[in-house]
Amino acid sequence: MITELATALGVNAHDPAFWMPLVFMGLLFAIIVAGTVLDGFDIGVGCLALFAPADLRPRMLSLLSPWRDANEFWLFLGMGLFVSAFPHAWGSVMGELYLPLCLLALGVLLRSVSFELRLRSPQELQSRWLFGFALGSLITALAHGFLLAQVVVTYQDDAGYFWFSVFGGLSALAAYCLLGSAWLIMRVAGELRARAVMWGRRAVRWAAAGAVGVSVVLAFSNAGIFLKWSDGPHWPIAVTLWVCLLACFVSIEMCLQRMINSSYRTTALPFVMTLLVFLITLGGLGYSFFPYLVLDDITIWDAAASVDSLRLVLAVAVVALPVALIFNIWVYWRMFGLSIAPTPPEFKEQAPNEGGTVA
Amino acid sequence: MLLFLVIELGLAWVLLYFKVRSLGADNAPWTEAYRFWVRVFALAFVLSLASGMPVLIQFGSLWPALMEKIGNVAGPLLAAAILSTFIFKSCFLGAMLFGQRYVSDRVHALLVLMVAMGVLISCFCLLVLVSWMHTPAGVNWTEGQYHVLDWWTVLFNPSLPWYAAIFVLASALTVGFLMLGVGAAQALRRPVNESERFVFRTAVYIACVATVLQGLAVAGSGQVTAQYQPAKAAATAAYWRSGPQADLVLFAVPDEQAAANRLAWTWRNAGSYWLQRDDSGNLRGLDRYAGMAPPVGLTFWSFRLALLVGLVMALVALITLRRTRRAHYDPGALSRGWRHVLAWMTFSGWVLLLAGLAYMFFGSFPYAVTGTVTVSEIMGDIHFDALLGGYIAYLVLYGVLLLGFFQLLRHIARYGVVPIARRRGRA
Repeated sequence: MITELATALGVNAHDPAFWMPLVFMGLLFAIIVAGTVLDGFDIGVGCLALFAPADLRPRMLSLLSPWRDANEFWLFLGMGLFVSAFPHAWGSVMGELYLPLCLLALGVLLRSVSFELRLRSPQELQSRWLFGFALGSLITALAHGFLLAQVVVTYQDDAGYFWFSVFGGLSALAAYCLLGSAWLIMRVAGELRARAVMWGRRAVRWAAAGAVGVSVVLAFSNAGIFLKWSDGPHWPIAVTLWVCLLACFVSIEMCLQRMINSSYRTTALPFVMTLLVFLITLGGLGYSFFPYLVLDDITIWDAAASVDSLRLVLAVAVVALPVALIFNIWVYWRMFGLSIAPTPPEFKEQAPNEGGTVA
Repeated sequence: MLLFLVIELGLAWVLLYFKVRSLGADNAPWTEAYRFWVRVFALAFVLSLASGMPVLIQFGSLWPALMEKIGNVAGPLLAAAILSTFIFKSCFLGAMLFGQRYVSDRVHALLVLMVAMGVLISCFCLLVLVSWMHTPAGVNWTEGQYHVLDWWTVLFNPSLPWYAAIFVLASALTVGFLMLGVGAAQALRRPVNESERFVFRTAVYIACVATVLQGLAVAGSGQVTAQYQPAKAAATAAYWRSGPQADLVLFAVPDEQAAANRLAWTWRNAGSYWLQRDDSGNLRGLDRYAGMAPPVGLTFWSFRLALLVGLVMALVALITLRRTRRAHYDPGALSRGWRHVLAWMTFSGWVLLLAGLAYMFFGSFPYAVTGTVTVSEIMGDIHFDALLGGYIAYLVLYGVLLLGFFQLLRHIARYGVVPIARRRGRA
């Protein structure tokens, strides 16, 4: 397939000008997927904290605490890679998306700062920063949806497209809530899990509607993509993906229903299925867009920086990637499974007047 | 972002000093100082890292066409800055903040050193980018974009040493005055302990040395500005008509319509040093740059403001040194009024920084990259309402976060630091 592509472009497959943008595209896509999925449950739990009763909220946030450090960096990495590897698409993408990007920046700023400040502030101020974190997560989720909707319709901004963006924002919110609650179902027991099941049930249909809506609009507003799906050698792939998506949504729904009615065991099934949904949706998007960065306009080869700069960035990335991988695997490998809340340490009862002064 | 970046950079090195001193014999007060200021460092780090994202996004969406032109230079620099932040954050910072109990003291000191190095490297990458945009070197401008000829020349472009010196000294000044202000404010409420006196001593010395060096650095960088950005130099000096000699304008109201200074208070024939001479030996005035000169009033005034704040800071630092030298550097030995002055000047470093930043930005106008790319040709076409709304939202959010920072700083200055724990991969 790679040699086909290379001959179509009229270059040698071993030419760095050909394969370097491909490598960076793969890296960028991996970072986007990692960012959406791993930061996703973070955002989702943050959004759900708005609806949770006040006494459960601190527990939800402390569940997130170990991954905040790693999670807040995906967006940085993605942006940095995008700007340094594809400077010629940067302008036309960033220039069009001022408002959603503004929203995204505000949301991310608010949530990452409030989380850390909450950790370090005295008891009476903590609920304030907790609200800030939840609000920031909400804004971030909406902004992700707006961005996706805008990218799918190639930045058109008529009235109808505006409502599509709103729909995209809301369904992204639902999808993140679903991911967050599925994670909570796997992660905790007790009241929080029971509530997470209810949240998940409310979110799952909206998320499904969003996934379908985005794909349909993507297909019908861009003839090229519709052709790519329905025609040519790849249509079995498209059909398989659709069937998988349907199966995932149905099984999540059934599992949640069962958890309400009969079973009350720890299960990772909804989380794994939701992960699968995210992977399929993102994979489908990536497949539809390739090799364009801006649909039907800028390919990754048009957008790439000069080979010298790319080589330099690649060298930096090769140094950084092992570090990133080791660090992330080390951090994330405990993400799965049931978490048991830490109990406060038991202090020895100190007998009064024993051994002099007790400060 | 920059406001907290300077605190972060300065404090990282001050913390290293505290940490190294706490390895010595007399360790208790130094450990206590480290404990207190590491919290301030953590807060500043959180804020500067988180607000780096909006800066990057704003940079992209306000000036979308810029990266197309300078992408080959700026791309690797930005990548290096982000990745070095990533590496030092993920490898060293977590261990420094939360892992002190698990490593020996010496290893922990090494971690603090690595964090300080990491902050310095990230700042260096950003400084290279900014200074290169002001004095491009080592590149080839063809077909509307830059191609790198020699990375070494790009990295060490003519203005880099001066910009780096000014930035590092500004961060030292900011941190010095922050520590002075906090110490003085504590001394207003209660007698300070030994550790706080040590901090105060460190801060007095940092502030004194940094102000003096800052003056030298600004004077030196004026030469580079005159050579590479003559229009900026002429605007700074408010020098309108070219001629053989220039007065040093200390105070004036520059009038762009009349191309003259009103209410001028000058020092005769002393300003020639910071202006560029043309081939015939005449100084270049603003009349040589019709239409391509920076806004004179803003450039002139932001520079004067920065200078004024710097002078006040130098004066305050030296007087504080003189008054506390005999009193074991105890802020309690100062008069109440002077302690109030110091407390008010806690964030004077930020004023200096903002004025200097405004000077750098307005002074290089109308160019974004000196000599080739103007600001107007890379501006995006964003609707004015959207822009205004975005700005208001940013202002409100930054206001809230700044308030949160002040509140926490006040709280720990009053009641002390309560340590927090976090373990990776566990909840």
